[in-house]
Amino acid sequence: MQAAIELKGISKSFGSVAANKNIDLTVGKGEILALLGENGSGKTTLMNMLSGIYMPDSGSIFIDGKKVKINSPQAAGKLGIGMVHQHFKLVERFTALDNIRIGMGKEAGVFFKSGYTRKYVMEIAERFGFNIDPDKYVYNMSVSEKQTLEILKVLCYGAKIVILDEPTAVLTVQEIERLFEVLFKMRSEGHSVIIITHKLNEVMEVSDRVAVLRHGEYVGSVETKKTSEKELTELMVGHKIDLNISRPMIEKTQPLLEIRDLTVKSDEGNVAVDGMNFYIRGGEILGVAGIAGSGQKELCEAIAGLRPIVKGQMIHDGESIVGMSPKKISKHGISMSFIPEDRLGMGLAPSLSITDNMILKSYNDSKGIFVDRKDARIEAAETIEKLAISAPSTETPVRRLSGGNVQKVLLGREIKSGPNVLITAYPVRGLDINSSYMIYDILNEQKQKGVGILFVGEDLDVMLALCDKIMVMCHGKLQGVVNGNNATKEDIGLMMTGALNIVNKEGKTDGIAKDSIIKDGKEEESV
Amino acid sequence: MSEYHLVRRGDFSYKRVIICYAIGILVSLGIGALLLIGLGINPIEYYGRMLSIGLIGNRYAYKCIEGLLKVFVPLLITSLALGLAFKMRFWNIGGEGEFLIGSICAAIVAFNSNGMPKILTIILMCLAAALSAGIVGLAVAALKVKFNTNETLMTLMFNYIMLYLIRYLGNTKAGWNFFLNPESERPIFGQFEENCKMGGIKIGCFTLLYSVIAAVMITIIIYIYLKYTKQGYEISVVGDSSATARYAGMRVGRIILRTMFISAALIGLAAGLATSTAGTISESITNNVGWTGVIVAWLAKLSVPGIFITSLLISVLQYGCQAAATQYPSIDSNFADLLQGIILFSVLAADFAATFKIVKKEGPKND
Repeated sequence: MQAAIELKGISKSFGSVAANKNIDLTVGKGEILALLGENGSGKTTLMNMLSGIYMPDSGSIFIDGKKVKINSPQAAGKLGIGMVHQHFKLVERFTALDNIRIGMGKEAGVFFKSGYTRKYVMEIAERFGFNIDPDKYVYNMSVSEKQTLEILKVLCYGAKIVILDEPTAVLTVQEIERLFEVLFKMRSEGHSVIIITHKLNEVMEVSDRVAVLRHGEYVGSVETKKTSEKELTELMVGHKIDLNISRPMIEKTQPLLEIRDLTVKSDEGNVAVDGMNFYIRGGEILGVAGIAGSGQKELCEAIAGLRPIVKGQMIHDGESIVGMSPKKISKHGISMSFIPEDRLGMGLAPSLSITDNMILKSYNDSKGIFVDRKDARIEAAETIEKLAISAPSTETPVRRLSGGNVQKVLLGREIKSGPNVLITAYPVRGLDINSSYMIYDILNEQKQKGVGILFVGEDLDVMLALCDKIMVMCHGKLQGVVNGNNATKEDIGLMMTGALNIVNKEGKTDGIAKDSIIKDGKEEESV
Repeated sequence: MSEYHLVRRGDFSYKRVIICYAIGILVSLGIGALLLIGLGINPIEYYGRMLSIGLIGNRYAYKCIEGLLKVFVPLLITSLALGLAFKMRFWNIGGEGEFLIGSICAAIVAFNSNGMPKILTIILMCLAAALSAGIVGLAVAALKVKFNTNETLMTLMFNYIMLYLIRYLGNTKAGWNFFLNPESERPIFGQFEENCKMGGIKIGCFTLLYSVIAAVMITIIIYIYLKYTKQGYEISVVGDSSATARYAGMRVGRIILRTMFISAALIGLAAGLATSTAGTISESITNNVGWTGVIVAWLAKLSVPGIFITSLLISVLQYGCQAAATQYPSIDSNFADLLQGIILFSVLAADFAATFKIVKKEGPKND
């Protein structure tokens, strides 16, 4: 196969940290290459060098056999390299067509010959099988439409080599299928595709060849047909790893936390959680699945007392927690850890030390005006040891830790307070395989202690393996609760998009426990 | 073709920071020296006089120390107060305005004291100053908490309101205006009675003003406050991430109100002490501490010991230039401001050099 792009001996370091060491990589014409690697293995750095954001310290890049120098994103564009970033780069208040047009430069003409560009764009959309309305405003688009537009955009700019950075993270199963069809179409047109992803099943499904990076070094590449998920994981991690997430079964208790008819508004004043019913028993993990922004954040914040509720009941340990302050709720035994997209925004103070972060919720428990750091330091040291957090000392600022360790500090603190309901949102967000499994183990350990866990997650495979039950949300509404051991990804995907609703199926209402302590009608009046 | 680019240094060493800062200061003194040579002044002699703040060969050397401390005390307290707000990422640049309102309120007490006992008068002056400035700070913080107004603009605007208020008081000859000297035809501010003037401990000829003792005590208290108390801890959490503070169940609004009140009240206190020391008021009573304090707080990277040292050095620079100016008629104390600006620039450059390094980009090796 003819090489579309060839990297030879590429190295790049930031300060004393080598992000890429002497990497050789070839992508053929009409090939879909999956780039695999744990966090910090240098995938994004390498791709940023291809798209002109960074320049390599040494090594050379060949395109179509010619040596090139890519010193700006413009230069990359001219060479036919287009990158679709994880965070979309679109103008919200423009239409799809205008978003493509603004980047066209001279070709679109000074006064934007609109007829010409429209025809051009639609032609390309048709060729690759995109289903897109050119006059739709971006702010009206769903995540998958935005992504379609991003891909169409780079194709319109003449990209022959398209790089996709974690494109499936925000999509439902059905949307992923559609994306893959587009990718196959691109392959048949002779385009080259590089796809960065963490999800091995997708790698197996979509790619022709897999290249693996580990600690900034190129481990090698294998043909997808001749490999297995297990082999890929071993290549990635460097040693054998057990891929099974265990789901220990233990005796479940009465519902610890019951939510009835909960309605919560978002910051913008829209209804974010719409009449939800559910309950968590001790000793179970209840997964929450849904497309990003379906009300998960608002739900978590409402339970933690950080967001006023419009109506509904929240009963914990036989007592209503509606209207309690966040401190009181946390004393009551409900603990929340929420990992936002930027990881550090909520729950941790990044410039403060591990010790100071450990006492974030409890600093006010001691008497007097001074903060008690002596006990906190001991606690921090214990947590570091127990969760195998790699940190130079208890006084290291949290921001200097790696992602996995940051998340362990956060979970460690929440567990330390000995909650009986643990709400954890995206605890493995952005973590590599090793760290993720560590977090699953921690959660299972808590479950075995009889803690009820609400697990808001992204990866359906993981949720199906880890959670006892999964409830699916769509636009703030409960779509149904399924069992972890017999549900299918397809069903959950349909529920996530709102196409399937199994609440009230067969005369049984999902989300209301049979042994509920809430007496219908009676308590509701008192709220 | 070779290119240069910036790379963040991977390691951190105090040695390099100190060396970079020292080079920065030397460079700025060098630039100052060139300017001095241009004016026909021997820079070594000038710097010698400046750094010795006129102590050498002076029969009244103790006067120099007293003068230096008079510059030092308000700058130190104001810088500490600003540092407190900055630590919370609350951009209080209204030091000037808060200082002026404090000064005006201290003067109201002073002009109406009618022979009250000295200690009581001075304490009342300081209280009035701290309270009035604190209320201004509280108002800005309340607007921020309630309506999310921009505190930078609000505090900045208060500076001008207070500046024009004191000008109005200083220029309006009227029966109600007790601020003015009744014997003068032209409107000028009156002098305080003896019972309103700051006293001190006599050590030989030298008088150690109580305000200096107060300033040192405030420094120690703030150091402990920020480092060891729960409120200090809250300030650092809110400053680092207010979303996190909210998640931890802190009442962020209350913390902002409280901290801003303390910050502004401390500046008011500095004004009260300075006004009492000066024995009168004027629109230049602030000696620009509201602005200089911002520089000091950032040069010291908001560390309390750092602020103490930096404000002392800046005071030496300012007072030293004044002292040296008496010997050199061709330059006045404005040279201090000029030099201060150059130093600030060089120190920022030094800070940059300590965090980043410039690397020459090598061409691809395996051609």
